[in-house]
Amino acid sequence: MDIDITLNGTERTFEAQRSDSLLDLLRRNGYTGTKRGCDTGNCGFCTVAIDGEPALSCVKPVATIDGTEIETIESLGTQDDLHPVQEAFVDNAALQCGFCIPGMIMRSRSLLVENPDPTEKEIREALSGNLCRCTGYEKIIDAVQDAAGRMGEEGVAADGGLVRGEGE
Amino acid sequence: MSRTDEPAEDEPAADERQGSEPSAEVRHPIEWDEAPNNQKSADERQAISKREEKNDARKIVTGESKYTADYAPNFPDLAEAAVLRSEIAHGYVTEIDTSAAEAMDGVYAVITPDSETVPDRKYTSAGQSYPEPSPWDLTILRRKVRFVGDPIAAVAAKNGDIADRAIRAIDVTYEELDPVLDPEEATDPDAPRIHDPEEVENAQPGADYERNVEAHDEGEIGDVDGTFEEAATRDDWVVTETEWKTPYQSHCVPEPHTTIARRDQDDRIHLVTSTQVPYHTRRQLSHLFDVPIRDVRVTKPRIGAGFGSKQSMLIEPITVALMEAAGRPVKLETTRREQFYALRSRRPARVRLRSVVTDKGDIKALDMSAVTNSGAYGPHGRTVTGSIGTKPLPLYTHTPNVRFEMTAVHTNLPVGGAIRGYGAPQGHFALEGHMDEVAHELGIDPIELRSRNLIAEGDLEAVSGITMKSEHVRRIRSCGLDECIAEGKAAIGWDEIEQPEEAHLHRACGVALTAQKSGVAGDELGAAHIKMNEDGSFILQTGAVDIGPGADTAMAQIAAEVLGARSEDVLVQPSDTDISPFDYGAYASSTTYVTGSAVKKAAEDARDQLLKFASRMLEEPADTLETRDGTVRSERTGESVTLEEVGYESIYGDEVRAQVMGQASFSTDESPPPFGAQFADVTVNEETGEFEIHKLVFAVDCGVAINPDLAEGQVEGAMHMSYELATSAGLSFDDDGTPETLGFRDYGMPTTADQPPLKSILVETYEPTGPFGAKSVAEIPVNGVPPALSNAIRRAVGVRVSDLPITAEKIRAQLDE
Repeated sequence: MDIDITLNGTERTFEAQRSDSLLDLLRRNGYTGTKRGCDTGNCGFCTVAIDGEPALSCVKPVATIDGTEIETIESLGTQDDLHPVQEAFVDNAALQCGFCIPGMIMRSRSLLVENPDPTEKEIREALSGNLCRCTGYEKIIDAVQDAAGRMGEEGVAADGGLVRGEGE
Repeated sequence: MSRTDEPAEDEPAADERQGSEPSAEVRHPIEWDEAPNNQKSADERQAISKREEKNDARKIVTGESKYTADYAPNFPDLAEAAVLRSEIAHGYVTEIDTSAAEAMDGVYAVITPDSETVPDRKYTSAGQSYPEPSPWDLTILRRKVRFVGDPIAAVAAKNGDIADRAIRAIDVTYEELDPVLDPEEATDPDAPRIHDPEEVENAQPGADYERNVEAHDEGEIGDVDGTFEEAATRDDWVVTETEWKTPYQSHCVPEPHTTIARRDQDDRIHLVTSTQVPYHTRRQLSHLFDVPIRDVRVTKPRIGAGFGSKQSMLIEPITVALMEAAGRPVKLETTRREQFYALRSRRPARVRLRSVVTDKGDIKALDMSAVTNSGAYGPHGRTVTGSIGTKPLPLYTHTPNVRFEMTAVHTNLPVGGAIRGYGAPQGHFALEGHMDEVAHELGIDPIELRSRNLIAEGDLEAVSGITMKSEHVRRIRSCGLDECIAEGKAAIGWDEIEQPEEAHLHRACGVALTAQKSGVAGDELGAAHIKMNEDGSFILQTGAVDIGPGADTAMAQIAAEVLGARSEDVLVQPSDTDISPFDYGAYASSTTYVTGSAVKKAAEDARDQLLKFASRMLEEPADTLETRDGTVRSERTGESVTLEEVGYESIYGDEVRAQVMGQASFSTDESPPPFGAQFADVTVNEETGEFEIHKLVFAVDCGVAINPDLAEGQVEGAMHMSYELATSAGLSFDDDGTPETLGFRDYGMPTTADQPPLKSILVETYEPTGPFGAKSVAEIPVNGVPPALSNAIRRAVGVRVSDLPITAEKIRAQLDE
């Protein structure tokens, strides 16, 4: 079957099997930044955004995503020009093995778009579906708090105070 | 390949046989002959104390960091694999019908124990140095199955979906045997026998397969029985007895074990694999498949963490056998279910402790005995079980009479392996819980009791070698426990706890002290090679295996400190057995200490060479020159040349041309312990048993921390695992030994929402045997939360939970009594 989606801003058509998940489709087509941790929707490593909402791509059958807009970690910054959330994770040393990080960053970005100034409790609630085994979460919480400040600043600078200011 | 009978550590030392050796005091002097530049004050350090960005951080946050599975597109004809695993806990496979699977479209190969490409040789999954101390009790695929999860057959197919369907189409007939699931019952003479001793090569002491014992060992210092006899006659000596239990714990590695195997253009076996031990894996595969070591290559890409899980060679042999059968590259990516039940875990333990302590609080005797559940096979059996005693007991090294006895027992349950802490968490739970019980009995403050008996700098410590047959002592040259206690107490608010207003809520702090090692004493090798480019940058090659913590970054910082270069100008190549110098791998908290020392030596070699060029260029003697901030300068003249100018001169100069290339190996009999103090602050509801942890604090003496960000990351991550062991770890099984914990949700790994705040404190000491004073830090913080939390609850409501995990139900049950 053919699946038409807007992937990271570009309209694309992919060939897929009915049994494929969105994660299968992404990884098979070279979007390997999205990681497979459990295939049962329990770890959050495969988090992407579907129509702006965070979603677990490993439990999303391809048949249900036709016509949607998908954003993956590859849609954010580059190594030389990081997105504020990515920058905050780097600057706060909020990563070790890194396997959970693309999903964690996608989830954090969605949170901050929705809620530009979350409390620590709100961050902890929002990230509770994204596991990390290396960091003990401490520096990740710091990074998301830091990212909130950075996105706020960029938002003001880029588009006059609109919340969705991600420097895109 | 045959094995030597005994690990070398048990052989008597040569001077002992001659009977005229100098005393231990003389042979292990406090002074250490370290390099003159090893000790630097904080403001003299250029690179090592910086919070450098991890060298792969930008790749990680952009999703460009490549783990094993991400290499699949590099191999266009790659087959995907799946494994058929035993559904029964104990029995024989009497028939395997693979015809339906083989007939399926897209199936390239089906292998069983009878297949030609599946050698029948024995091996151990433990990725240890040669000869592996663990028993050789595994075959790649198994006719006799010993737990639910034993691999029986495997399939390579066009894609994973077909491979899974083919696995389900294989028909297996079993002859079932009674399983034994409890280690106490397993040693009963009438219990089912799990292994036939004729079928196992086991060099561990005390194996008795008639009683399902894989290893038994013991050792004693002084006269323990005599001390207990004396205690029975004295009113001023107090005897305390306790018993402790710990459960299975899963590594929960983020990246499931994944291997890609192929034949390269020279027809050599090439693996890209998620391993902590590339060199051990290469050697063990070469033995298993009977091919020369040189014809095997192991490449380590980014690793999605290990925690000991990937110190085991678990899926590499199956992948190689499938690749040979399919005649094409094969990728085997384990499922999360397999990670939980079929691979490796922390072994459950039951630890008993008895002590004699004077009424003043001086420990006269400690008697510890540990029984662990190895599960179906024996990797790391003796070494982990032994560490239950040998890692924590040195904390109270002044104890004149100490005994430790250990037994590792097989059951038909999942297999124990290496996991962060390596037996130390089980041992610390028992020892540090016991210390609080003694303090309670004597009416002494728990910190005061510990401080009276504590190990200190200058001590000659022998307990860590208590089970060795020859004398073993270790000089303690750095110990910051007093400061760890002081800083931890202040951070947790030990002296300022205020009781909640509600009468049914009780708040208290608990403490536990911890120790670990830095590498395996006398059984490590790290090697490093560093070469200079024209532009003044360096390529550093080590076999060190960065599995996530940032070892590569720390190695670059150590090299940069020596060379006076910027850390980002030292490029570190990931380990690959064709390219990297040798390394035993990432385990036993060895990388910073052992490989870091090799890197320091190699960088010193390179610095000596580059200073010769600089000396000619500046016309000043080399020993008057200093490297700093990317330049070499003469103190006398104030003239300087940049490292780039030196780089060009070395390669294109008119007088002498020679590439600056430093190299070194490092091996040592030392293994200095890092130390730490864990604190927990908890409020317990005496009506429900529910408890809330307000904060966990761990203050660690890891010598001089190389990159404090990375060191703190180790403390926080390990404390998270320690918190899990304390409050939620465990695997459950039905009465037949079928696992019921099959995913993260069943297992209950702590999330951001349920984990209390963690605080790490780095207490600096100087370890003269370590690179720039460093000791290890990666494992020690996993030891402390279970005893500190249990002690805090004991102090809050008078209830002792000695059986992990600590739950509200267990607390309430005791409150109700």
